[in-house]
Amino acid sequence: MSAFCKTLFGDTRNLAVVAALMAIEVALVYSDHAREAAFAIPPLVLVGVGWLAPR
Amino acid sequence: MIDWTIAFPTFLTAIVEWVEAFTIVLAVSFSIGWRAATGAATAALCVLGAMTVATGGMLDLGIELGWLEFGIGVLLLLFGIRWLAKVVARYSGLRALHDEDREFAETRAKLSSGDRHAAWLIAFKGVLLEGLEVWLVVVALSVKVGAWRSSVLAALAALALVAGVGGCIQAPLRRIPENAIKFAVGAMIVSFGTFWTLEALGGAEVWPLGDWSLLVLAAFYALGALILVVMLRRRPLVKATS
Repeated sequence: MSAFCKTLFGDTRNLAVVAALMAIEVALVYSDHAREAAFAIPPLVLVGVGWLAPR
Repeated sequence: MIDWTIAFPTFLTAIVEWVEAFTIVLAVSFSIGWRAATGAATAALCVLGAMTVATGGMLDLGIELGWLEFGIGVLLLLFGIRWLAKVVARYSGLRALHDEDREFAETRAKLSSGDRHAAWLIAFKGVLLEGLEVWLVVVALSVKVGAWRSSVLAALAALALVAGVGGCIQAPLRRIPENAIKFAVGAMIVSFGTFWTLEALGGAEVWPLGDWSLLVLAAFYALGALILVVMLRRRPLVKATS
């Protein structure tokens, strides 16, 4: 079961990165900055990838 | 009518995963024979097929597309970010590049006890877990209306190709550039995930170029990942990949 979950969702670091990204995305959209989110989220995704890669 | 924007990333993802599954089945076949190993693989594929049919039925129930799009987008981000981070780590030298020969040798070593039941389970679990990622991409990319057939056919075409070539040469498929494919597909999957989550929350108008933004995102992530590879390249090798 743990292998099943890990295959679908990844480890806790991976979950934390995506949770943080979604929290920022929701905050931007619901504060009327949805268009800015389109420019802010992609660089943040790369920051997440860069943080995860050495770990 | 095939939707190539869906079929192409599905096909590439499926190729990578089926190659990894084939390596496991091949290693198991040397222990318990081809018939038992392919039996285990077929059983796992039946489970995946049932999951795909069941999910397709659920999608047809009429769940509100916005929430579905958001949920699938999050799953794609979970999957794509992991792939992209792994491949960045590999190309920057932080992890060893994925090697089918080593994977094959490791699976053979696990089977040294000669337990037929354990060997069958290794083949079953290997195909099921690798196929689970294919299932995820098939389901996720099928959210786009009418793309269900395109993604399923692409995954099946990849399976037929890997099974056909693998069955002919009966050796690990080491010449398939898995790491390069993972790099390209990782960028595409993350693009779909980013696009859909934000579109689900803020509406289609948040993306300045509409659907064309997907191409811009894919190029942005591919270029960004290359820059990350260069930036991380100076670090020492810390561990081998699984």
